[in-house]
Amino acid sequence: MPVRPTEPVPPPPAATRRGGRARRRREDLAGYVFLSPWLLGLLGITAIPMLLSLYLSFTDYSPLIDVGEAQWVGFDNYREMFTADPSYWHAVRVTVTFALVAVPLKLAAALGVALLLNKAFKGIAVFRGLFYLPSLLGGSVAVAIVWRSMFNREGAFNSFLALFGIEGAPWVNDPQWALETLMLLAIWQFGAPMVIFLAGLKQVPTELYEAASVDGAGAWRQFTHITLPMLSPVIFFNLVLETIHGFQGFTSAFVLSGGTGGPVDSTLMYTLHLYNKGFVELNMGYASAMAWVFLLVVGLITVLLFNTGKFWVHYSDNEER
Amino acid sequence: MEPITRGLTPAKRTRRRLLAAVLTLPLLLGAAACGGDDDSGGSGNDKIELSFFWWGAEKRAELTEKALDLYTSKHPNVTFKKTWQANQGYFDKLATLTAGGNAPDIFQIDDNYISEYAERNVTLDLKPYTESGKLDITKISKGLIDYGTVDGKLAGLSMGENTQGLVYDKTLLTKNKLPEPTTGMSWEDFISWAATVSKTAKVPGTQDPSAVYQALWVYLRQNGKDLYKDKTLAFDEADITKWFTLWKGARDTGATPTPDVIHEGNATDISKQLVVTGKAGTSWVWVNQMPELKKNTESDLGVIAYPGDPSAQWARASMYFSAFRGTKHKDAAVDVLNFMANDPEAGKILGTDRGLPPNLDVRKTVAETATDPAMKQTIAVQDELSKKFGPTSPSVPPAGHSKVKTELVRIAEEVQYGRQTPEQGAAAFVTAAKAAIGQG
Repeated sequence: MPVRPTEPVPPPPAATRRGGRARRRREDLAGYVFLSPWLLGLLGITAIPMLLSLYLSFTDYSPLIDVGEAQWVGFDNYREMFTADPSYWHAVRVTVTFALVAVPLKLAAALGVALLLNKAFKGIAVFRGLFYLPSLLGGSVAVAIVWRSMFNREGAFNSFLALFGIEGAPWVNDPQWALETLMLLAIWQFGAPMVIFLAGLKQVPTELYEAASVDGAGAWRQFTHITLPMLSPVIFFNLVLETIHGFQGFTSAFVLSGGTGGPVDSTLMYTLHLYNKGFVELNMGYASAMAWVFLLVVGLITVLLFNTGKFWVHYSDNEER
Repeated sequence: MEPITRGLTPAKRTRRRLLAAVLTLPLLLGAAACGGDDDSGGSGNDKIELSFFWWGAEKRAELTEKALDLYTSKHPNVTFKKTWQANQGYFDKLATLTAGGNAPDIFQIDDNYISEYAERNVTLDLKPYTESGKLDITKISKGLIDYGTVDGKLAGLSMGENTQGLVYDKTLLTKNKLPEPTTGMSWEDFISWAATVSKTAKVPGTQDPSAVYQALWVYLRQNGKDLYKDKTLAFDEADITKWFTLWKGARDTGATPTPDVIHEGNATDISKQLVVTGKAGTSWVWVNQMPELKKNTESDLGVIAYPGDPSAQWARASMYFSAFRGTKHKDAAVDVLNFMANDPEAGKILGTDRGLPPNLDVRKTVAETATDPAMKQTIAVQDELSKKFGPTSPSVPPAGHSKVKTELVRIAEEVQYGRQTPEQGAAAFVTAAKAAIGQG
C-alpha cells in the first residue's frame, strides 16, 4: 500500500481522544518491549541487587549463608563503622587525601597536554594516540604490576635517580610514599579527560582569539579570559567525573598492595577496605553498609559540585541551566 | 517530537507490532530457559560431573589433574570440572561462589577459613562417612583428623601434613665460610648468627619474622602459651611485647633487612620469599614448600626447625579437601576424597606437594620412591622433626584466624617502620585479634 505523505497533525478532536489514548498506550507498551533488554539489565543487575544490599546493610549477612538466614541487626553496622572501626576512618582519610591531590593534578595534566595537542602540525594524531595510551592500559592490572616493579627500591625509577646521584626511597614499599606513588599512577592516566578537553578546545571560536589579539591580549590573558571560561562546562564535566572516579579508586591500590592496603594501611582506600570487609572477612552486611554510606557521600559531593558550578561555569549559548 | 508511528498506515503498524513480538520472543525464551535447571540426582552409573576447585602453582595443577583423571579412568561415569588459581584471591572467589549457591562440589581449604566455613555449614560433615566406612581414616594420624574437626564435625579431610621450616641459603653460607644454623639453637643465638651473616655476607641474615604468625605461634608455645585456646586468645600483651622487642633488637643489630624489604617478604607468595630473591639469608616457611622454593633459586637450600625448642612445633594439616554440603552427589564426592587421600597410585602422583601424604602407608611408599631431591629433603626433614614434636598439638584455629594474621602483619610492620613501640604494637594487636575472633 502506498504511503501517503505525512499530514500536518491537528490537535485531536474530542471525539477521537479515547482512541488516541488507547493507541498511545499500545505504543508505550511497544516502547517498553523494545527497552526490555536494557530494563531487565537495570533491574536484575543494578536495581534489585542495590536494594538487596540496602537490606543486607542492616543484617550480619555473610556470603557463606543464605540471605534468608541473615540476622537483622538494625543500625549496628553503621554504628560500628562510625565508632568502633579505626581502620574505617583511616580509609576515609586516605581516600579523601587521594582524591584531593590526584584529581586536580590529573585535570591539570590533562588540560596542559590538551593545550599542547591542540595545535595543527604533522603527526599530531600520533601524539594524541600516544598520550591517550596510558589510559587504555591504566585500568588494567598489568600496569599496576609494572608500576610496582618500577617504583621499587631496585626499580627503574631509582636507577634513573641514581644517574644523578640521588638515592630514592623504596616508594611503593615505604608508607611515607606509597600513596603518592598511587596518586602518580592515577595522574598519569589523564587520557580520558584530555580527549574531552581537546574536543572542548576545538569548540572555542577562533574569532575570539583573533579579536583578543587585535586588542593586544597576550597568550596568558587569552588563556584566562577566553579559553578557561569557554572551556568551563567541559572542565566542570571532567571535574565531576574524575572526582567520582577518584573516590572509587580500587584496582591500582589493590594490585600495588597485594590486596592489603599496605604497607601499614598507607594505601587502604575506602573501596579496598570495603572489599576486604566483604570478601576477606566475609562480613558482607558491614561491607554493604559501607557501600551505602559511600554512595550517599559521593552523591552529596556531586550535588555540592553542581551547586558551585553556578558560580564559575559559563554556558556560551546563554541558556538558563 | 512526534511519535514515530504517526502517519504509518494500519498495515505498517501491524507489521511493526509483529516485529516487536518477534524481537521479544527470544528474551522470554531465554528467561524460561533459566528456570529449567533440572538435575536428576546421581545414582549407580549415571553420568556425574563434580566441580573441583583449588589454589596453587602450575605444578600442583598438573599433579591434581593427573590424579583426578586417574579417578575418572577407574570410574568412567564420574568426570571433573577442574578449576584452579593462585592463592591470592582464591578465598574471595570461593566465598562469592558460595554466596551464589554455586560452591564447588569439592574444594581445597586451609586452617585460615575451615572454621568459618564449618560454622556456617558450608562444608559437608564427613564424620558419618568415616563411621560407615565410606571414608577410610584408619591410616591417617589422629592429629590430622582432629585438626580438621570443628565443633565435633569433620569439616575437611587433610591432604597433607607439614610443619614450620626455616629455610636458609646454603650456597651463600659456604661462599662466605659461615656456619649453618642448627635445629634447637636459641632465638638469641639465631639472631646473633644472623647478624654475623649480615656483616660477612653483606646480605641480611634473616627475614624478620615478627609478622609471621606461625613463628609467633611456635615462640608462644615454647613459652608455655599458645595462639588460641578453644575460641579465645591464649597469650597476653606481655608475650607480644617480648616478641616485638626481640625483633626490634635484631633489627638494631642489623640481623634483618630494612622495613621495606621485610614488607616485600611479607606481602609476597612463596616464589618471591627473600631467601629465594637473595635479599635475606633465611625465610620462615613450611617444610613442604621446599620444592617450590628450590624451583625459584640457583642456590642450595637447607631447612631446619624454627629456633628454640623444636618440641613446640607440631604436625599441621597444611590443607584440606572439603565437600560442599549442598552438593547433589554427596556419596560420589566423599568417594573422591577417599581416593585422593588413600589410593596409593593417587598418592604417588600427588607426592608431597600439599605436604606429606596423610595416609601413612602411602607416605611410606612415596618416601621410598621419591626422586626429586627437594622432595626427598622435605620428607627427611619432616620425619626428623616429627620425632621431636611434643605430645600436644594445637586445635584448629577459630573463625577469624585469617583476620588475626593480617592484623599481625599490619601491626608488626607498624613496629618495623618505627611508627609504634613494641608495647604499643602489642596492645594494638591483642585488641585487634580479640575483635577478629569475636572474643568479648
